[in-house]
Formats: sequence, C-alpha cells, structure tokens
Amino acid sequence: MNEYKPTIGLEIHIQLDTKTKLFCGCSSQFGEKPNTHICPVCLGLPGALPVLNEKAVEYGIKLGLTLNMKINKESTFYRKNYFYPDLPKGYQITQYTIPIASEGFLEIKTEKGKRKISIQRGHIEEDSGKSIHTGDITESTYSYIDFNRSGVPLMEIVTYPDIETAEEAYHFLVLLRKTVRYLGVSSGDMEKGALRCDVNVSLSKSNTMGTKVEIKNLNSFRSIRKALEYEIKRQTEMLKNGEKTIHETRHFDEKTGATKPMRTKEELNDYRYFPEPDLPPLLLNETFIEDIKNSLPELPVQKEERFIRQYSLSDAYAYEIASSIELADYFESIAKATGKPKEVANFLMGSIMKFLNETEKTISEIDFDEKKFIEFLSLLEKGIISKGIAKEVIVESLKTGKSPKKIVEDKGLIQITDENKIEEIVQQVLKENPEAVSRYLAGKTQVLGFLAGQVMKKTKGKANPQIANKLLTEALNKIKQ
Amino acid sequence: MTITDLPISSLINKLRNKEITAREVIENYAKNIYEKEENIKAFISLDIEKALKRAEELDKMDEKKGLLFGVPVAIKDNMNVKNCETTAGSKILKRYISPYNATVVKKLKEENAIIIGKTNMDEFAMGSSNENSSFFPTHNPVNYDYVPGGSSGGSAAAVKGEEALAALGSDTGGSVREPAAFCGIVGLKPTYGLVSRYGLIAFSSSLDQIGPLTKNVKDSAIMLNAIAGFDPHDETSVNIKKEDYTELLGKEIKGKKIGIIKEVMEFNIQEEIKEELNKTISTLVKLGATIMEISIAHLKYALPAYYIVAPSEASSNLSRFDGVRYGLTLQGENLTSTYELTRTEGFGEEVKRRILIGTFALSAGYYDAYYLKASKVRKMLANEFEKAFETVDTLLLPTTATTAFKLGEKKSPLEMYMSDIFTIPVNLAGLPAISVPHGSDKNGLPIGIQLIGSWFKEKELLQIAYAVEPG
Amino acid sequence: MIDIDKIEKLAALKLKEKEKKAILNDLEEIIHYFEILKEVDTEDVEPQIYTKEACLFLRKDKAENGLNKEDLEKNKTLASGNFYRVKHIIGE
Repeated sequence: MNEYKPTIGLEIHIQLDTKTKLFCGCSSQFGEKPNTHICPVCLGLPGALPVLNEKAVEYGIKLGLTLNMKINKESTFYRKNYFYPDLPKGYQITQYTIPIASEGFLEIKTEKGKRKISIQRGHIEEDSGKSIHTGDITESTYSYIDFNRSGVPLMEIVTYPDIETAEEAYHFLVLLRKTVRYLGVSSGDMEKGALRCDVNVSLSKSNTMGTKVEIKNLNSFRSIRKALEYEIKRQTEMLKNGEKTIHETRHFDEKTGATKPMRTKEELNDYRYFPEPDLPPLLLNETFIEDIKNSLPELPVQKEERFIRQYSLSDAYAYEIASSIELADYFESIAKATGKPKEVANFLMGSIMKFLNETEKTISEIDFDEKKFIEFLSLLEKGIISKGIAKEVIVESLKTGKSPKKIVEDKGLIQITDENKIEEIVQQVLKENPEAVSRYLAGKTQVLGFLAGQVMKKTKGKANPQIANKLLTEALNKIKQ
Repeated sequence: MTITDLPISSLINKLRNKEITAREVIENYAKNIYEKEENIKAFISLDIEKALKRAEELDKMDEKKGLLFGVPVAIKDNMNVKNCETTAGSKILKRYISPYNATVVKKLKEENAIIIGKTNMDEFAMGSSNENSSFFPTHNPVNYDYVPGGSSGGSAAAVKGEEALAALGSDTGGSVREPAAFCGIVGLKPTYGLVSRYGLIAFSSSLDQIGPLTKNVKDSAIMLNAIAGFDPHDETSVNIKKEDYTELLGKEIKGKKIGIIKEVMEFNIQEEIKEELNKTISTLVKLGATIMEISIAHLKYALPAYYIVAPSEASSNLSRFDGVRYGLTLQGENLTSTYELTRTEGFGEEVKRRILIGTFALSAGYYDAYYLKASKVRKMLANEFEKAFETVDTLLLPTTATTAFKLGEKKSPLEMYMSDIFTIPVNLAGLPAISVPHGSDKNGLPIGIQLIGSWFKEKELLQIAYAVEPG
Repeated sequence: MIDIDKIEKLAALKLKEKEKKAILNDLEEIIHYFEILKEVDTEDVEPQIYTKEACLFLRKDKAENGLNKEDLEKNKTLASGNFYRVKHIIGE
C-alpha cells in the first residue's frame, strides 16, 4: 500500500458539436482545406465583433445539468490575453469569474464500488486555430497556421482534485465521453481533438497538499492512465527517497510511456483577464433552462439500471448496451417488438457485435431491423433452425441484407428434426469414432460433446441438438448394455 | 449660394426635383477638394472617380430613394469599407484592404450616400489633435496653423472645408465632439448601443460610439436616422424602436429643464467660452426653458478613470496587430522578435504609451487598484447622471475648456489628455451628447457648446440643440 | 513601481532605450495622476463594465459564408496549402 496518497484533478476540453462557431456563422466542421472556414470574426480582422451561438449555450447547459451542476442565471465572458500565432485576436474569449455552470459531480463505478467525483466548474470558451510544425517542433523553421478551428466552441470541465487513482481518472473520462455522446453535444473523439484532457497530480502523506505536477500531450484514455500510473510511481519514489517534487509541466511520451519535463521558453504567465466589453452578461431565464432540462435524454447509468430492472439483463450486458445510445435504442426497439429482451441481448452482444467489430461498422449502419429480428426469432422458436445455425443466419443476413427466412430457404438450413434421419447419422458417427465410444464406455462422459459435435458437423449444424443428444445417449447406452 | 453650401435636406430636394444632378454635386465637392485638400489634408484616401461613377448611377435612377440620396460623405478611416484601404491612421495597417463593410457603411450605402473618401485621424483614435496620425497631421480649415481636434479631426475638417457634406467619426472620449467644436461644426455622440460598432476598429470597446459630423443640427438628425438601429452583428447594440430624430426639431422647448453642472464651472475655462455658454443660457431662458444647477460630484475623477479603462481595453484590442494575417510585418529571427519588431515599428508613440499603460493596469496585482477601481468610479458617475436626469432634461456645458490650439504646440501627454475633460464623462456613462458651434474667440477660432441628454433621448437632445443653434 | 521590462514583454513591444526612458517617465506621471482615484470611496459600489441594461442576445446556429482566398490574399500571401506561415514558434 502506497503511504502517499495521490490527488488527481482533470481539466477536460469538450468540443461542442454545433454547426457554426461560438461567435460567428462559420462552419465548425473539420477536414476542410485550411483557412476556408473563416470570416472577419474568427480571423480577428480589425472591427469584427463576436455574437454568441445559442446552440453552444444550450449544449453547455445540457452538459452542466447532466453533470449535476448549478446553471448560473448570469454568467460573464472575459478576455484571456496572450500572444500566439494561432490566437488571432491576441486574446481568447472565455468565462472566468462566473462560468455558465458550477459545482457538480459525476458518479463513477469502479471495481471498488461507486465514487462521486466533484466538478468545480464548466465554462464555455472559443478554441484557437491549429499550428502545424514541419518536422520536429524544436527544429522547424516555420509553423503553419490554419484558422478553421479558430472560434469553435468548447466547454471546459474542471474537476476538483478528488480522483485518487489512475483507474478512477480513466473511468471518469470514459463515463464523461459516454455522457457527451448520449447528450449529442460532442463526438467526444479524442483522436480528432474533440475531447482534450490535461491532468494534474500531486502526492502527499496526510491531508497536506502536495506539489502539483501538470501533464500534457495526452492523446488517448490509455495514455492518460499510463501517464498517471507512471507519474504516481515517479513521485512516490522521489518522496520515499526524501526528494522534493517540483511544480512543473511534464510531457507524456507515448513511445516510452514516461513523462518528461517540458522544454518551454521562459514564459510570463500574466493573462490580464478582464471582462470582455464586446459581450454583455449572458442572462438566462428560468424557462430557457427548464426547457433544456425537460429535453434531456435518459443517461447511460439510468438506462443501464432500467435495463436490468425492466428486461432482466445481466449487469455486463446492460452496461455494454447502455454505453452507446444507438445500441441502446436498437436494443429497446427490437426487445419491445419481439417481446424477448434476453434473446435479443444475447444475439446483439454475440453475433451482431462480433460482426460489427470485424467490419468496423456501427449499429446504425447495419440492416437487421425489427421485422427481420422477429422473423429470425420465430424461425428459432419454431425449431426451424438450430441455435448453431442461427448465428450463421444472422451473419449472412447482416452481410447480404437478405431476410432470415430467405437465407434459410436458399441455403437449406432448415433444422432436421426427423428422428430416423438423425438416428442414421448417429449410427454413422459411432461407427467412425470407435475410440471415443470406448472412452465414453469407460466412464468419460464428456466425450458426448465431441460426438454430438460430429453429428452437427455431418448435418452442417442442421440437426436439432436436443434430439441429436437424446439419440446419441440412447445409442451409447444400448452399446453399454 | 453654391451646391456645397447646401445642407442635406435642401440638397436632396434639389436632386429629387432634378434641379441638379448627383454628378454635379460630386464635381462641386471635388473642386473644393482640389483647391483645399493640399492645405487641410483631411483625407487618407480619396476616390473621386468612384464617387463620380456612383453619382452617375444615382442620376440614372428613376426613383430618387434614400435618406441620403446623393449626399457626399466622408468616413473616418477606422471604419471598414469593403475593398478600400482602412488604416485607422496607423502605419501598421498601411495598405490594408478590408474585405468587408462596417454596418454603418452598409447603411449609408443603402441610403444612397456617396462615399468620397476616408479621413485622417489620430492613430487608432488615440489623440485630441490629429497630430498622432501616422501619416500627416490635418489642419483646421478655419485657420491652417491650428489643429482640427481629434481624433476625428479629418472628418471634422472635411465637413468644415466643404470637402464632404457630412462625415462619420467615432467618439471614445470626445473624438467627435472636440473636433466639431474646434472646427465649428456639429458633432453628435449617440447613446452607447444606438449605432452599431460592427466594422469600427476598436479603441475602447465599452466607450466607442460612431457619430455624425455635420454642418448643422438638422443634418445631424438626418445622419442619425440613417445609421442608428439594432445590429445582430454587435452584441452591444440595443434593440429599441426606430425613431425619427428630426421629429422634434423646431418644436418649442418651453418648460424644458436645463441643468448646469456646478463642478464644471470649477475648472479653468477660457473666458470667451464662458461668455458663449452664458449667451446660450440666455437664449434658452428666452425660449421658456428653466435653468437649474445640478451636481455631478465625481466629475473630476472621470479623467483618471477614463485613462485607465480606455488604455486597458485598447491594450487588448490592439493585440491582433501581430503581423501574422495582415498589416505590416517585420521579420525577426524568431516569432517573438517578429511580433516585437512589427508592433514597435508599426505603432506610433502615443499608441505604444497607451498599450503600456493598459497592460500595466491589467497586470497581476494591479487589476483591482486600477481597472476595477475605475469601473466602480464609472458606475458612480453613471448613477450621478441618472439622478441628474430625474430632475433635468438636458445638461449644458462647454465641449472643451479652450478653443483649438496650434499645431506642434508642445504638450505633455497628460496635458493633452486634459483637453477631453468635459467630453469624457459622457462616454463613461454611455450618454448621448452633441457639440453645437456657438461663436468664436478673439482669434476667430470656433467655440463649441455641449448638450448631454439622457440615455436614448437623442430626439429631445437634438430638439434643444436645434433651439440653441445660432441662426 | 512599474516593471517596464515585464510590461513591454506582455505587450510584445521592444522599445529603444531612449524611447523607453521617455515613455517610462510619462507612464509614471500618468499613473501617479491615477492616485487621486484613491480619494473615492468605492466600497459597496458595483463596477460598471457594460452600460445600462446590457444583455446578450443569442445567434441561431446557422452557417453563413465567410471569406475566400482572394479576400485573404489582398493582405497576405498564403503559404502553399493555404496556410498562414510564421517563424518557428518554439526555440530561439
């Protein structure tokens, strides 16, 4: 047990998925040619003025409410002043003294149980442009700037230093990402920069505060976990050796899995925050907030609990299915239409998920609708197909889009329930596998599975397994006598 | 009487009645420009060819529509005009071609005004004499040895010199009213939020307001009709009902209450200006108005508060001039030195001085003592004005404590700042105010009388200004 | 009182020694003048940043056309690939 207690705080920037930028009508879509989504406002031309995007405010409130935060009826914008070539105005418009949302929490589940992680604030701000460096950042002669991202809306979520392990940080982020996707306020894609996270970590013995170390360049949840694990270990060792940790910013190296002190130019951190005079206070009325509150969807955790309650799903399935709103919606519509939630969940988490993973598709991209699912389950129920064949039917239907019935007909996959036919095959199998038969007779009854498998193989999976098993046992027992 | 003597309403009447053509109007103004511009130097850029072309287009129109049909206007060079050079009087923006129109410019064009050129100004509107222009100083058309005032000095001089019939200026601490007073024309600073600032190169965002400079009060009201109104591109513009600002002109002012600010009289004011102020009071009394003494107790703190707030905002507003996307760029050996070279070379001395004051006032450890304190003083002033307007309709005071001074008359920055002492409180409170010419001093230099109205009471303010405007 | 070097750096300016000295003198005089504000009792006064009854209005999330390459290139030539190019950001 580590005698030093880690204290971890997260600062997460979430790109709000609006059509246009925070303060101008430029498209906030990505992947366009550099400097094509720009206007006098987001390029910082002389005389241009910002006008706040309603959707960004709505999304900010949505996220705030979901994170159990207080929505401030009056919030203000400030200017954060510093020079950087991707910051066209020489200042960033952000919220400072009174953010749109404050004081909330998110409850996470870890192996050790539930934990509430407190959130200090959530504020709306504009993103900067993008600097691209050729070659090594320290060696390139020029940097290239694209302002398409300049002014894209962000919501920054700042947690209290409540998190105690790398594991918890990871779970917090996973749940937060799930939540923003659920709300539809952000794609939450870290690799696309739609979710960015800085962490700070300090270690201390008792309740005294340790020295804060910030870690940057964290490009995936995995690196965040790894960086934190590394940093906790590094700081623990230092403290154990009687060394002092220093307040610094460290850079995570994906390749080595280590953090290194960041080589920065000596910088003056005096941002000269002051109220943005171009933007009067944002005043929100009760109905505006209330309407948003009423439009909030059911959240992952609530949905998960309901699935367990309502459909008697296992914890693991409920968690998995509820983790994506598309998956959950698909499941519910089929479960309702078929009245067989457990079977639906089994096939969804089995064959369908496997297919999705292999083809790198999402649930919304496949064509296996309610009608097909009902037809499929009825084939199964009526004993027309066996469970083994069922998987094949689903995959075939997913691949070709054909209806399950058609597949069964075309491929002759109808289950064999004729006892005479199966008996014939059972006898063949017994004849071809004398060794297995003698092993069974010697008491190794588990060989039965192997023999049943052989029967299925010979019938291409079409034999009704119950009948096959029954006939096999009977035949073996006959030999035994 | 020549065409250039005509005020806006008469000119438009003649154009509508086809007594004259828009082309003739521009030709007449062009003649003045050819004759006088060499001495006045009101313009940074002029495009008479374009103006003539536009005039011809207007002449071809069957319907002579627009509040400013055929009116030649000059625009202060801190307002964006699409595809035109827009410099804000600064070397850092020399040859900067704007890709968009300021809202006021759009509105003027919609009213069929003809833009004749962009006027000279103190760099980024920081100054009271036009001597802070990066390019050249403008001369007062009344006497070329004197400054036209600033920072809208070019606009004031263009109207006084009859190089344009009307002009737009911007007023952050008196930059429309002071040059209007120095040149002997009318200058109006509307209520903060009445006229859109979109496309106005910001000096101090919470104080800047665009206003017209005109021959007389009626022209001022007509210009305001054209430029006032809510703009969805400016969050500080106010959505109020559209009004006709000429509506009350000439209506009797009997029973109006006019306030004289006690504290103003404690300042050192040029004798002749006091006399003109007294004459104005007599006129008002004769017209049936009541004169009352009121107090704005914190008036003297307006100047220091202003010189904290304005430079602070300016220091941030001017950060965008970094040489990356437009304007002057001087390449250094690295990015930081490129910034420093560009800005140090591109900005003039006064601008750098104010950037440094503002940067200091906002820097860690000083924010509360300066910016916050000044903002509180600002609130106190606004409260005092609000109280005053519970009793009076309008306040009367001089626009400036002295008449125009000579070009190159060496003054320290602080002395220079003092020339805005009577105009600054208005901006801090966001009120509307107008400077009306009233007589002149012994050197023949014009005197300006200032009237301050309550928030969004431009109609009533113009009514009283019209009443005191000499014949 | 005024750390002119720091202020200069924050403002991205680099004055020549002579100019710096003159401006520092002016600044000190001006800032000294600000001292009279200390006479004002501002306790319990809310600062006024925005003018009367100012309140933000919200813009609908609807895309508008922005600037094109010709607009931009009137003022600065873009590097290949449509980028703005600056001297390296990090390092001396």
